[in-house]
Amino acid sequence: MALDELSFSVPAGRMFGFVGPNGAGKTTAMRIVLGVLAPDAGEVHWQGRALDEQGRRGIGYMPEERGLYPKMPVGEQLGYLAQLHGMPAVRARDAAARWLERLGIADRTDDPVEALSLGNQQRVQLAAALVHEPPLLVLDEPFSGLDPVGVDVLSEVLLDEVRRRGATIVFSSHQLELVERLCDAVAIIAAGRLVASGGVDELRRAHGSRRWRVQVSGAPAAWHGGVDGVRALEDSIYELGDQADPQALLDAARRQGRVERFGPAEVTLAELFREATAAR
Amino acid sequence: MKAWPTIRLVAGRELREGVRSRAIRASLVVQVLLVVAIALFAAASGSDDGPPSLELGVVSTEPQPVVRAARAQQQGSRAQQQGFELRLRVRELPDAVAARRAVREEEVDAALTGGRLLVPGDPDAALVALLQSASRSARSAQNLRDAGLTQPQIAAAMMPAPLATERVAAQEGGGEGLAFLGSLLLYIAVISCGYAIASGVVTEKNSRVVEIVLSAIRPSQLLAGKVLGVGLIGLMQIVIVVSAGLGVALATGSVDMPSTTGQTAALVTVYFLLGYALFGMAFAGAASIVSRQEDIQSTTMPLMVILIGGYVLSTTALGNPDGTLAVVGTFLPPIAPMIVPGRAAQAALPAWQLAASIALMLLTVLVVAKVAARLYARSVLRFGAPMKLTEALRRRGTAQ
Repeated sequence: MALDELSFSVPAGRMFGFVGPNGAGKTTAMRIVLGVLAPDAGEVHWQGRALDEQGRRGIGYMPEERGLYPKMPVGEQLGYLAQLHGMPAVRARDAAARWLERLGIADRTDDPVEALSLGNQQRVQLAAALVHEPPLLVLDEPFSGLDPVGVDVLSEVLLDEVRRRGATIVFSSHQLELVERLCDAVAIIAAGRLVASGGVDELRRAHGSRRWRVQVSGAPAAWHGGVDGVRALEDSIYELGDQADPQALLDAARRQGRVERFGPAEVTLAELFREATAAR
Repeated sequence: MKAWPTIRLVAGRELREGVRSRAIRASLVVQVLLVVAIALFAAASGSDDGPPSLELGVVSTEPQPVVRAARAQQQGSRAQQQGFELRLRVRELPDAVAARRAVREEEVDAALTGGRLLVPGDPDAALVALLQSASRSARSAQNLRDAGLTQPQIAAAMMPAPLATERVAAQEGGGEGLAFLGSLLLYIAVISCGYAIASGVVTEKNSRVVEIVLSAIRPSQLLAGKVLGVGLIGLMQIVIVVSAGLGVALATGSVDMPSTTGQTAALVTVYFLLGYALFGMAFAGAASIVSRQEDIQSTTMPLMVILIGGYVLSTTALGNPDGTLAVVGTFLPPIAPMIVPGRAAQAALPAWQLAASIALMLLTVLVVAKVAARLYARSVLRFGAPMKLTEALRRRGTAQ
C-alpha cells in the first residue's frame, strides 16, 4: 500500500510544500490528485467540491518524470498542451508565445524539443505546466536538477503566479530550506501517512522547543554545563528546557568567554522533518 | 470539454507529426516510385488485358465487299456496339494456297479467299461471327442495289441501330488483378499504420509526456485520437500511391479499368477503415504494455502473425473466390478485409455475405476497441519491464 489514510488540506492562493523521504508516497498522492492514478478509497476536493474531470483539466501538472514530445516544435507543443487543457486555439498560441518570451527561449519556438539543451527543456516543461493559466499547480520535484540560477528563476516565476493571479501551488521537494523559504504551509508525510501539516510557524510552535543561538569565543566546549535544563544541539544552538532561563545561559556565557552572538533560534523545517520522520 | 473536440485535437497532432515525419515521407516516396515502376513495366511488357487481337488473311487479287466490311471493323466502334471486343488486323496474302497455309500454320486466325472463310481447327467464335455478319451486310447491300434502290436508300436500310449491349457482371481477368492489388495494398497499409501507432504509443510512454497528456484528457480519448490521426495519414498515403499508379497506368494504357473499379475501390476503402480500426486499436493496446521501442516487435508479434497469415491465406482464397476458404475468410474479421474486396471484384460475393461480413467486422471492432482501451488505460502509465497481458487487464486503471 502506497498511501494510508493520508489527508490534508491546502490553503487557497498560497504556496504549499509537500515533503517526505523517498518512497513516502508523494508522487502517488500527486498522481491521485491529477486522476492519473485511481485511489482504492478516498476523495480529492477542490474549492469545496469533489474534484471532477472538468476541474482536473484545469490543473497544471509537472510530473516527476519530465517529458515532452521530442520531435514536436516547442511553440506548437505548448499551444497543443494548452488546448488539451481546454484553452481555445488562438489564446493557447498567444499564451505559449508569452511564456517562451518570459522564460527567455522565444528564439527556440520552432525548434523541436529534442534540439534544446537540458536546461532549456526544463524551462519548456515548466511552461507546459503553466501555459493554460491553471488556478491550481501540482509540481512534483520542480527544483530537482536545476542549477542555482534555475532555482531562482523558478522560485520567482512561482511566487509571481501566486502574487499576480492568486494561483494555488503545491510542490514536493527534498530541498527543505527552499520549501521553508517559499511556502506558508507544508505537509510532511512518511510511509504513506501524514506526519504533520499546517503553517510552518504553527508547526514550530507545536514543536514547543525553545532554542537560542549562542556563540562564545574563548570558552571551553561545555561552558553551558552549569546551567540547568540546557542541551547543546549542533551549530551553537542550545535547547532550553521548560524551567531554564535564557538570562542564566547568557550569564554563564559571559563568565566563560566573550559572547559574539546571542539570540533566539527557530526550529528549522529540516529538523521538524527529521524528528517527525525518525519517530516512526 | 466534450470527447469529440479532444479526439480531434489529438488526431490533428498525429496528422501534423506524420506529415512532418521524414520516415513517413521517405516511405511514401518509395511506395510511389515502386508503383510507378510497376505500372511502367506493365506498360512496356504489354498486357494480356483488353480485347484480343486477331489477324485476318485476305487474298488481295480478288477484292470483295466482305473484306471492305471486315476492314471497316478495324475501327472497332461497330464491333464494340455489337458486343464483340476484338482488334482486327488484315494481312494481304498472294493467293488461295498461301491463305490455306497461313491458316494451317496459325500465322493468321482466319482467311478470306474466293468467297470462302478459311478457319483453323478451333476457330475464334467472335471473329467468325463478325465476318459472317459483315458478309451478310455486304450481300444484303448487293441485293438491295440489284433491286434498284439508290445508294442513300441502301445506306439507310443497312444502318439499323445495332443491339446495344451492356455488361452486367465484372470482367474476369481485370477484376482479379485489381483484387490481388487491393488486398496487397490493404495488407501493407494496415501493417505500416499499425506499426506507426505502436511506435507512437511507445514514444509517448518512453518520453513520459503521456503523464502530462493523461492529466488533461482520458486514455480512451488519447487512444481514439491517435488511431484516427494515424489512420488519416495511412488513407492519405493510399490515395497518393493509388492515384500515382493509376495515373501512370491510364496514361500508358497498360490497364483497362473494369467497369466495377469504382465499386472495388469503395469496398477496399470500407474494409481498409474496418481492418485498420481493428488492427490499429490492437497495435496500440499491445504497444502500451512495453516501454521501449525494441520491445515493439515482440509485443506486436501475435498481430503480425495474424496479418501475415491472413495475407497468405487471402492470396490462396482469392485464387478460388467461391471456395470454402474464401467463404470462411469472409466471416473471419481479422482476414476478411483482405478477402472480401477481392471476392467482390471477381463478382463472387452474394449480398448477404457482404452484409454479414461487415456486421461481424463492426462488432469485432467494437469489442477490440473496448479491450484495447482497457489495456491502454491500465498499462500506459506503467514504465519499466513489459507487463504480462493478463496482469495488465486485471490492473486498476486511471481514475478517468
